[in-house]
Amino acid sequence: MHITRKLVAALAVATALTLPAMAQSTISAPGQSTSGTYMDYMKTVYDRATFAELLQVPIATFDKEFELTPMAAESWSQSEDGLTWTFKLREGLVWSDGEPLTAEDYVFALQRAATTGYDFAWYWDFAGGIKGWKEVTEGTADVSTLGLVAVDDLTIEVTTVAPKPYLPSVTSLWYPVPKHKVDELGDDWALNVDTIVSSGPFEIESWEKSNNAVVFTKSDTYTGPWQAQIDRLEVDPTLGAPEVGLPAFLAGDADYSFLNTGQVPVAMSADPDGIRRNAVFATSYLSYDLESEPFNNVDVRRAFYYAIDREELTSTVLRDIAIPAGSILPPGYPGYNPDVVAQATFDPEKAQQFLADAGYPNGEGFPEIEIWIREEGGYNGAIVPAMAQYLQAELGEHLGITVNIRQLPGADWMDGLRGATNNIFIAPYEYDYLDPSNFYGIFYNGGRHNYFVPEYDALVAEADSESDWDTRYALYAQAEQVMIDQGLIVPLVHPITTAIISSELGGEATEPNSLGFTPLDRLGHYFFTHLTK
Amino acid sequence: MLGYILRRLVSVAFTFIAVSLIIFLMMHAVPGGPFDANDMPVSEAVRAKLMAQLGLDQPLYVQYLKYMWGVLHFDFGVPYQSPGESVLQLLSRAWVPSLVLGGLGVLIGAPLGILLGMAAALNRNSWIDYLASAVATIGLTIPVFVTSMLLILVFAVWLKWLPASGWPNPERWILPIIAYAAIPVATYARYTRSAMLDTMSRPFVTVLRAKGLSERRIVFQHVLRNSAIPLVTVFLPMFIGTATGSIFVEAMFRVPGLGAYFVSSIETRDYPLEMALMLMITFMYCIAYLLSDIVYALINPRIRVGGAE
Repeated sequence: MHITRKLVAALAVATALTLPAMAQSTISAPGQSTSGTYMDYMKTVYDRATFAELLQVPIATFDKEFELTPMAAESWSQSEDGLTWTFKLREGLVWSDGEPLTAEDYVFALQRAATTGYDFAWYWDFAGGIKGWKEVTEGTADVSTLGLVAVDDLTIEVTTVAPKPYLPSVTSLWYPVPKHKVDELGDDWALNVDTIVSSGPFEIESWEKSNNAVVFTKSDTYTGPWQAQIDRLEVDPTLGAPEVGLPAFLAGDADYSFLNTGQVPVAMSADPDGIRRNAVFATSYLSYDLESEPFNNVDVRRAFYYAIDREELTSTVLRDIAIPAGSILPPGYPGYNPDVVAQATFDPEKAQQFLADAGYPNGEGFPEIEIWIREEGGYNGAIVPAMAQYLQAELGEHLGITVNIRQLPGADWMDGLRGATNNIFIAPYEYDYLDPSNFYGIFYNGGRHNYFVPEYDALVAEADSESDWDTRYALYAQAEQVMIDQGLIVPLVHPITTAIISSELGGEATEPNSLGFTPLDRLGHYFFTHLTK
Repeated sequence: MLGYILRRLVSVAFTFIAVSLIIFLMMHAVPGGPFDANDMPVSEAVRAKLMAQLGLDQPLYVQYLKYMWGVLHFDFGVPYQSPGESVLQLLSRAWVPSLVLGGLGVLIGAPLGILLGMAAALNRNSWIDYLASAVATIGLTIPVFVTSMLLILVFAVWLKWLPASGWPNPERWILPIIAYAAIPVATYARYTRSAMLDTMSRPFVTVLRAKGLSERRIVFQHVLRNSAIPLVTVFLPMFIGTATGSIFVEAMFRVPGLGAYFVSSIETRDYPLEMALMLMITFMYCIAYLLSDIVYALINPRIRVGGAE
């Protein structure tokens, strides 16, 4: 009896001691780059420290359905002429050191970016179209001429060179910089955990510079939307390589891991329920020199459009690394239109008919062609060469056309494309900002391919500055219909990434979106604040 | 001997200068620079400003002389990829895990390899010999990232005896040290075996046997000592190899060591760090070979460094 009582007491003490520890939820996540300079997204994007953006609150951001959600901003409005946007910030937002977060911190972030060599400065010109941006970054105009004004503590006014109906989505990459800290320490405020302040759902606890590993904790001071539901987030970029990440995941050291192609079957057999896929916002497509033989004939281009079995392509040679593309827009991307996608079918008879109409029945008399592909790294390195060989076989089988493949260094390939020294290319493109104008801009008024298609250009120009979203998407869909009818391109595939997540993870962020994709840390703000364990 | 050492030190200084020049020129001959992004380059005005901030707008010889003047004062500059600290601070923090991993790897691996090599030599053509050869061949031919993966798979994923990777506590050091030790074990097993077999076939060993010395005394006092020269030749440079970190072992086991900086400094055109790393290795190799030469003389009186005396 005595012993039992002792045991019970000991157990009670042990439980009391372990309870607080158990209540702490910690996520161990892979990071992306093992080196990073500043913990400041507005100082450098390409060399930033691990997930620097998680520390700060953007004006707005995207959820997993890619719906734009206001974050620091409470609301926004566009002026009559479409050129000026007014953003109203939420009241009560503060920095982690207690200083109020104001409009000035956002305006200062971009003013500094425009004047001190921000490596992402192009974005604010190309996507943002901020008035005076180009001149200020080139040093020919003063920073005060920028179309950015902090009207009062909670109001920001942004002026653009042309109407930009999608400007609010551009602000998903607009983070504040603590002006009070920069005044005191310069850019060095973002080098040391002791001087880094945050405004978003997470605070920083530690930063191991040797591998850019960072520990974040839930912020005590953040009052905006999307509060963190976990206590600690340990991000280790050395887990980012699937070769290291998956073994660590299987040994219980990581809560999720990205997978390389060879690992997918292993992970599938380990835990099929844990597999998550995500479409990269990128598209590989066939493009032509529209001016010269044989692709100056629309029927030839239409024949190619119907001659490719994307389903077979992505279930065999590109299994687990790509999905069929029926549109230049990837699934989930704003403006993605299933009606457009449905037209991209594999129909060899139709293809042969078009080729016959063009004067090449069964491919007779069709010149030998050479598809030019670019030397690729990353996901494209696995996709493009294999796909070229597949096309070579397909076009031979279904259209009786002899296809050769030539791989060129990036610059030479681009010269070929722009200078029309070849007539057919596989072109991969990854988005730069989240708006259809990005992808449709590729073919607009010359663009990347020297395409000049007046009907298409007119529709895209109209859509670009249209403020009504339904009308705007409809116009882009019409523009894409022109692309299909005139066979300007053949959308081929979109790359996908595959990951495995632990069954201990929960929350909305682990569930696929309505298209079946789980963007994981591609949408860091959404993912890490909608994750539980 | 002292004169020899002094002369060697002077030659070390010249080697150092020559290497620094070659590295510096090669570094700048590689196309591209720290601010040349592939897809979305910064504007020309901004690039010029950034280059000027780092002094990269000056003529190459000025940059070289400035850097070397700094080196003389132990100032290796500020790494571009970690602007909050000096190159020396970066090296001193990143070096620790590499030294622990590599140092323990060699300190455990080398004696094991020597023992294995000795056992093989003393039991020639027996199963021990074949085992030693197998270990040596496997250790030298299987790439270390494959060994690492196998170790993780067996001990972390299947048996769950040890953590897969990471560095925060010594329990996590075991697998990477084993992976690292495979190289010294294999190298030493091979060298020891062949050196001892070579020595044992010499006439003086037969004489010793004829004099009735015990086999143990022959092996430990005579054969081993006479076989030590090739072992010394490999030892110090191998130790330096550990100090520079093993890129693969560190990457596979997530060790926050120096290895990755060798790659990233070149990739990102981090000139100050690249120079510092190369100079450090050069210096260490120079010293290691000098020490090896001195040790040769100590263990084998027939070798007289610095010519006839």
